[in-house]
Amino acid sequence: MKFRYSLEALAIIAIIVFSGIFLYTSSTMDGAEFAGSDNVGSGLIAELSGIPLENFQPLIPQWEPPSGEIESCLFALQAAAGGAMVGGVFGFWMGSQKKA
Amino acid sequence: MHIMEGFLPLQWCIVWWIIALPCLALGLYQLKKVLAADREALPLLGVTGGFIFILSSLKLPSVTGSCSHPTGTGLSTISFAPWITSLVCAIVLLFQSLFLAHGGLSVLGANIVSMGIAGPVVGYGVYRVLRDTSVNMYLTVFLVTALADMFTYVTTSLELALAYPAETGGFVSSFVLFMGIFALTQIPLAIVEGIVLALVFKYIVVLKPDILIRLKIFSEEKINAARDDAS
Repeated sequence: MKFRYSLEALAIIAIIVFSGIFLYTSSTMDGAEFAGSDNVGSGLIAELSGIPLENFQPLIPQWEPPSGEIESCLFALQAAAGGAMVGGVFGFWMGSQKKA
Repeated sequence: MHIMEGFLPLQWCIVWWIIALPCLALGLYQLKKVLAADREALPLLGVTGGFIFILSSLKLPSVTGSCSHPTGTGLSTISFAPWITSLVCAIVLLFQSLFLAHGGLSVLGANIVSMGIAGPVVGYGVYRVLRDTSVNMYLTVFLVTALADMFTYVTTSLELALAYPAETGGFVSSFVLFMGIFALTQIPLAIVEGIVLALVFKYIVVLKPDILIRLKIFSEEKINAARDDAS
């Protein structure tokens, strides 16, 4: 019999390896802050242009989440919206398959 | 991949907006056409778009000691071609610039070009090349997804290097520097994203093969063969 779950197994292995690499780098690498690469990129822009980071002002005024908590709340909301779409459609498909 | 608000000079903001807008218009036009032709494309759009919402909100740690997020554009690119994908990305990126201070309205054009246009266009090219060959369907999905993700970050590096050429070495040397930050961080994420979305594609094949056949995403033989393998 053919093994049906090779993709599932591969995905689990990939996630475990990925987490393992993360644990390894976070414990051995000096100065690994795990800041967003967006921010690291902005730092490099400041370095290359010779303009201090704080001199970069938004061209169009922008609302910023007042704290990291609120930011993560809004990110979770975004993921939840996506999850609802995905789950809703898969459920709809499974339901209509059973009916047919 | 977000360029932060204020970090791109005005003239470059305008250039990227001018590139992005026609693609979004084309996406809107194609979306209307696809939905008018087949209402059952809507749930597929929900699933493929949903993964863009989910994956682009996950900021994952990587080998370089910084965090970055996958883009999730692969499935949508395969199902609906790049321009509809650009439209979905534009919605996500607009949400992130308005509420999360990730990117911003002036740099939105540049961010749409990297995540919604350049990545998906490259992915779609890979898909078109592999679709009618004997290459395994899931391997195709993996490659499209991983390369669309990678190329999004290559484009961000390109956009920044064009705007900020280094004093010595100019464009090339700052491109290499930005690639070191964005693209290097992205390699492991792109691989994991590719595998996960290939797995999701398997479930779409099992649950709703007829829509994939009707939209001519893969040949009927390939889908039926994959379906037999899974059941």
